[in-house]
Amino acid sequence: MRTGLGEDVYEVFARKNRGEPLRHIGYIDAPGDELARVYAWKTYDEENWFEMCVVPRGAVIPVNRVEGPWAGNVPEGTHGP
Amino acid sequence: MTPYTEDELKKKIRGGYILESPEEMTPGYRRALIVQLTVQADTELMSAPAYWFAARHAPSTNTQVSAHAIIQDELAHANIAYRLLEDLGVSKEQLVYGREPHEFKHPYGFDQPLDNWAELVVANGFFDRAGICLLGDVHRNTSYGPLKRALVKVDMEETFHLRHGEVWMRRLARAGGAATELLQRCVDWMFPMTIEWFGLPDDLKHHSGQLDYKLKGLTNDELRQVWMSSTVPLCESLGLSVPAHYDEDGDEYVLEYPFPCEYDPDAKRWLFEDGEITWQAVFERWKGRGPMNEIYVDSVRRSRGSVTSWLN
Repeated sequence: MRTGLGEDVYEVFARKNRGEPLRHIGYIDAPGDELARVYAWKTYDEENWFEMCVVPRGAVIPVNRVEGPWAGNVPEGTHGP
Repeated sequence: MTPYTEDELKKKIRGGYILESPEEMTPGYRRALIVQLTVQADTELMSAPAYWFAARHAPSTNTQVSAHAIIQDELAHANIAYRLLEDLGVSKEQLVYGREPHEFKHPYGFDQPLDNWAELVVANGFFDRAGICLLGDVHRNTSYGPLKRALVKVDMEETFHLRHGEVWMRRLARAGGAATELLQRCVDWMFPMTIEWFGLPDDLKHHSGQLDYKLKGLTNDELRQVWMSSTVPLCESLGLSVPAHYDEDGDEYVLEYPFPCEYDPDAKRWLFEDGEITWQAVFERWKGRGPMNEIYVDSVRRSRGSVTSWLN
């Protein structure tokens, strides 16, 4: 999961206004949580977000799908939801 | 392993199927998407140093801020496109730091120096408009879900760059005198530069699969028309002359110069008088890259080696 300069992938989630869903808006590479917050805020600055948060890609555990960027995080020995 | 044959996937896509992960791709789809994303990422990346060198000509702190905000956007767009490539198993590290400058896939326009404020704002008005035409079409049509979502931000910001370009073109056009003359000189080399950017005409284009896989919706010629349908009226309304006009009979914009033709990068002048050249000759010129290619590539990666060695 680590990329150049020892960076990890972080998923970026944001909510535009109160009452709206938290949406997955993209991803950034960062060498740690602190810089991940900064990079996400500076990269996805197209809206005045009400709320933004970042999640290390490795922390997203798929429930029903075994394909895609989080496929590697399926706990061993589990089958479907 | 892909669960589909090429034909099965194309058929599903025609029915509106959206792909969400590389596992669903056929080799042909994956290849076509990687080519498209590499061009997109490299173009965004190389626009940054082109604009950055030009931003030194900003006439005030306010305009410096606008110019740098645009550069910041372009770098973020590049980063996002390289990140999408990384999820397809392509190394961003290799793409950005492992290639020779001439191997980048950005258009020839971003190998040219932007030497004054007028050239920067016309680049925003012309080049960023081309970006909107191309990426807006991808956004509306792409069958790759992650790319469709990524382009929400990109489209929004490219529209801001375009507005910046148009507002400043209007301001320089109204000023008259030296400002308008300079603006016209920019249009003279940058209009044909953008026209060429859209690539081979449809009747010469090899089938790339990008349309079959719905990685885009419009052909090169259609996109060129979309660009002209905004750019020609804009320039005409500003009293600027462009070598193209709307032809009512054919219901299309028509170029008034031999296309394609040769370009003299030192003089920043298209050699209309030498007549039409082959697309093979255009590809040779693109492959040879333009005067700023090595300087721009070096400017985005020159400290990489030393910083990496301090950290490791």
